[in-house]
Amino acid sequence: MIVFDQLKKNDLPLRVLTLGVLAGLLILLGGLWWVQIISYHHHADNERSQSYRTVRIPAIRGKILDRNGQVLAENRPSYDINLYIEELRPQFEEEFRRIRPLRQSTNPPVFWKRWLGAETPKAVPARLTVQQRATLNAQARFNVAQRVVGEVGQTLSVTIPFVEKEFSTHYANLRALPMPIVENLDSPQLARFLENAALPPSVDLETEPLRYYPNGQLAAHLLGHLVKDVSSKADEVSSVNYRLTDYRGNLGLERAFDEELRGKAGVKSVLVNNLGYRESENIWFPTEPGKNLILTIDLPLQKAAEEALYKEVGPDVAGAIIVMDANNGDIFALASAPTFDPNDYIPGISTAKMAEYNDPKTKPTRNRATQENYRPGSVFKVVTALAGLQKGVINERNLHEPFYNPGFFKLGRMTIDDEAAKGDYTFERAFIKSSNTYFIHYGLEAGFAAVQKAGMEFQFGQAMSLPTRQNTAGNFPTPAWIEKMKVEQGLRWQEGDTANLCIGQGYLDVTPLQIAVMIAAIANGGTMVQPRVVDRIVLQDGAAEDAEPRVFPYETRGRAEFAPEHLALIRKVMRADVAVSAAGPDQGTGYRAEVPGMNICAKTGTAENKAGGRVVRKDVWFASFAPYEAPKYVVIVMVENGVFGGTTAAPVAKKIYQAIQKREQSGDFPARRQVAQR
Amino acid sequence: MTMQTPAHKEKFGRAEWLLLLATLCLVVVGVAFISSARSPAEAAEDYPVYKQFYFKQLLFCLLGLTGAVVINLLDYHSWARWSLVLYWACIGILLLVPLIGVSAGGATRWINLGLFNFQPSELAKLAFIFMLASFLARPDQELRLVANFWKAIGMMLLPFAIILKEPDLGSALIFIPVGLVMMFVGGIPLSFLAKLVGGASLLIALVLVDVLFAPKALQFIQLETYQKQRLLVYFGLDFAPPNATEAERRAARQLQEEKSYQVRQALISVGSGGLRGKGWRQGSQTALGYLPPGAAHNDFIFSVIAEEKGFIGSTTVLVLYGVILFAGIRIASQARDRLGKLLAVGVVTLLFSHVFINIGMNIRLMPVTGVPLPLLSYGGTSVIVSLIAIGILHNVHLYRRAY
Repeated sequence: MIVFDQLKKNDLPLRVLTLGVLAGLLILLGGLWWVQIISYHHHADNERSQSYRTVRIPAIRGKILDRNGQVLAENRPSYDINLYIEELRPQFEEEFRRIRPLRQSTNPPVFWKRWLGAETPKAVPARLTVQQRATLNAQARFNVAQRVVGEVGQTLSVTIPFVEKEFSTHYANLRALPMPIVENLDSPQLARFLENAALPPSVDLETEPLRYYPNGQLAAHLLGHLVKDVSSKADEVSSVNYRLTDYRGNLGLERAFDEELRGKAGVKSVLVNNLGYRESENIWFPTEPGKNLILTIDLPLQKAAEEALYKEVGPDVAGAIIVMDANNGDIFALASAPTFDPNDYIPGISTAKMAEYNDPKTKPTRNRATQENYRPGSVFKVVTALAGLQKGVINERNLHEPFYNPGFFKLGRMTIDDEAAKGDYTFERAFIKSSNTYFIHYGLEAGFAAVQKAGMEFQFGQAMSLPTRQNTAGNFPTPAWIEKMKVEQGLRWQEGDTANLCIGQGYLDVTPLQIAVMIAAIANGGTMVQPRVVDRIVLQDGAAEDAEPRVFPYETRGRAEFAPEHLALIRKVMRADVAVSAAGPDQGTGYRAEVPGMNICAKTGTAENKAGGRVVRKDVWFASFAPYEAPKYVVIVMVENGVFGGTTAAPVAKKIYQAIQKREQSGDFPARRQVAQR
Repeated sequence: MTMQTPAHKEKFGRAEWLLLLATLCLVVVGVAFISSARSPAEAAEDYPVYKQFYFKQLLFCLLGLTGAVVINLLDYHSWARWSLVLYWACIGILLLVPLIGVSAGGATRWINLGLFNFQPSELAKLAFIFMLASFLARPDQELRLVANFWKAIGMMLLPFAIILKEPDLGSALIFIPVGLVMMFVGGIPLSFLAKLVGGASLLIALVLVDVLFAPKALQFIQLETYQKQRLLVYFGLDFAPPNATEAERRAARQLQEEKSYQVRQALISVGSGGLRGKGWRQGSQTALGYLPPGAAHNDFIFSVIAEEKGFIGSTTVLVLYGVILFAGIRIASQARDRLGKLLAVGVVTLLFSHVFINIGMNIRLMPVTGVPLPLLSYGGTSVIVSLIAIGILHNVHLYRRAY
């Protein structure tokens, strides 16, 4: 070896020294090899885990648009003022030095000054225990932060609540993240903040997308609302240190399509220093924005429907409206009252609002169009009529024959009143005057089985499976149901039950949506359409024209098997129910809905809810379609606690048909993708 | 380096270029990484240039280089004549330190000279090397006398004891290997040294057992608390005594975490450097303050280099030290007489001990003791003394032939 060769041959100690130095250097080299090469990953991991904090960032939620691309739900920027704690560090230290206690000291730093007699007693910081130091530091931090928040408050001319506990909790747990001090600035505040150049650099304006429903309460039940959420979806990085506020759909379409609307959360990493303060940020996984939901709803029509309900009936109305395409099931408008404002849930709902929306009596979040059970009342007479026609008890011969109605129907000990005056009734007159006696008579004559079969053709007792999950099956006395009730409650089906059923009372519960589908089937010749509210799901940024949109196809629920001429007869008498506006024997119950040029066909209904033998509430209906010749629209109006279907519900329907007429005249209605289904 | 070259060229050619080059490289590396280690703090507080540490270090280097050149103007024999004076002067200053020195971190090791805090213990190391070398330069037969052996031991233990009292365990310990190696090379009979080393090892083992494992009542040696904690950290032992309550245990664990923080962060810094490192001034451990900002530029400068330049960088530093050390050993072997040889051996051992303890501490081979890395660590006294020591080495080389 080169070092050895140059040493004198007999110099043993130097050789030993050489070996020793060599060995020492090799040990160090080996150690470095071990630390830097072999255990590199271990140390690199340690370094990462101590200097990075991961933060989950929610994706931007997809919009909900109506059939023409008008916005029903979107995101608006929420202007928040954040406090960047790390920027305050120098001030923390300054404040700490200011408030720490002092003691007198006579220890000069340089020794000769003492000898020269330049010894001057001076105040130096007192010794503190670790505990005291920590407390003092916390106090200093709070003082500084409070000062900054105060300054911001002065600029905005608001008092910003700033609690020591909140600050210290944020400092302890979320030091690497900015602390929000004011959320959701209004525009004057925003202007004041932006105009003021003298604000401390430690506060900054940040915009956070916040769910916003520009039309407020409009279609609230269909859209649903959001609640704050802290969970992660299965395919996301779940082990994050912090998560930013995220929301999840809790009702309606927001809930049903939460997955699609919400997109995929991303992760950013915050580099922190040894004291846990933020140094820099870096996106690890970008967010995938949620997709847009395009509905079948027509915003102007939805507006018109809700306006009609509130204006014609009153602001405290409880009821539901459905406007649907008679041929393919596209829902143009779906309203339920009373309602709520989904904006109230953002960013968090107040206790007062919460109590109001959870009121068990008014149930504002309940979707009455699809989720509540009602007696259909006289609307069910179309089923009874079809049963009689099918069975042949109402036929060509007696259709125009007068049938004497004494004004009531007596069945054993039971008497059922008839709102229609006593006198002679043909089928059409009985239908437009909604005679109970006539329909109970022919219903009983056709027999329970026939009425039951007709009802089952219209799929009563089956839920309409809207994606909103606000579905109720209602109730219909199917054979299975009767069997079940027999076993459970000892129910024995009797004539009286059939009589009640014939006029839409008794063991019968329907939703307005079920009635809409039934009316559509009558209008379109027997097709039971599947109601559709979501047309397609498209990428958020790709606008409407997406390469691969998820389109929801038109579906049917099968057919209601009735003879075409019977359905045509029903359509004819439904038209007659609305057509004659002059008072007289030919005036139907629905005349108040007549809109010239629309040729509306309808059946009204007034269902009595009795409690203890007394009528406590009348639920009134106006179930209609139009136009008569080529039915396009189904309009169902149901109002709780109304007077009569013709008086309370028909004027609402009239307003809606007027709106439809106006929409048709504007040219871009009804449909973008009309598919013939007949 | 042949005799035929003209005088001026001869003198020029006689310089040990490899040694000087390696020294210069290390000095430059030191200044560069002190700048890197200090950059987060200095950028934040906007220091003027003359207050920045790398600039000050540059000044110290120039002072040290001047000192090294001055040393080379005279034959080492001329300097060695003053060794007795130098040695006792140093002892005197060391004794003065507790009276006039400045304290930091519970230890009084420095004297404020205005420009920088002068650390007498560093100078004492040089003085001791001169003193012992001169002492051992006497004829062989005198070295075999037991009395002279004990005198040499005394010379070693006197500054050792004073510095230990400061307290500065690291600096004090350096005297032991330097003294023993010089005695060994100088020709003190091996039997003496063997007994001494054997006895000392036994003593150290006993002390360690006493400090680390003995119950309180049986602890005869009272180390400073922080020293004991450092030893506990090094040996990975629990801070809490075996009969501690849960609360005490928890407090002890937290304390232990705090105390082993430096070591842990140094290890993470070195380890996360990997093969190539993160790049100059890119070391996150330094930038984010995990490597204690108060120590990164001096005792833990090697961690900064290893983090930013990786295994390649740290090996380069080792090689540079190797060049200096082996050049020093060659100079010792070619020295004109025993005085020169011992001076060279003393300087080599001094430098090697520093390098081994400091780098070992950075990778957890050695316990944490405040021993600077020669030429790299920030510190006026350390860098000046290291450069002068290398100047002495070169002096022995320069004057290796008899006139």
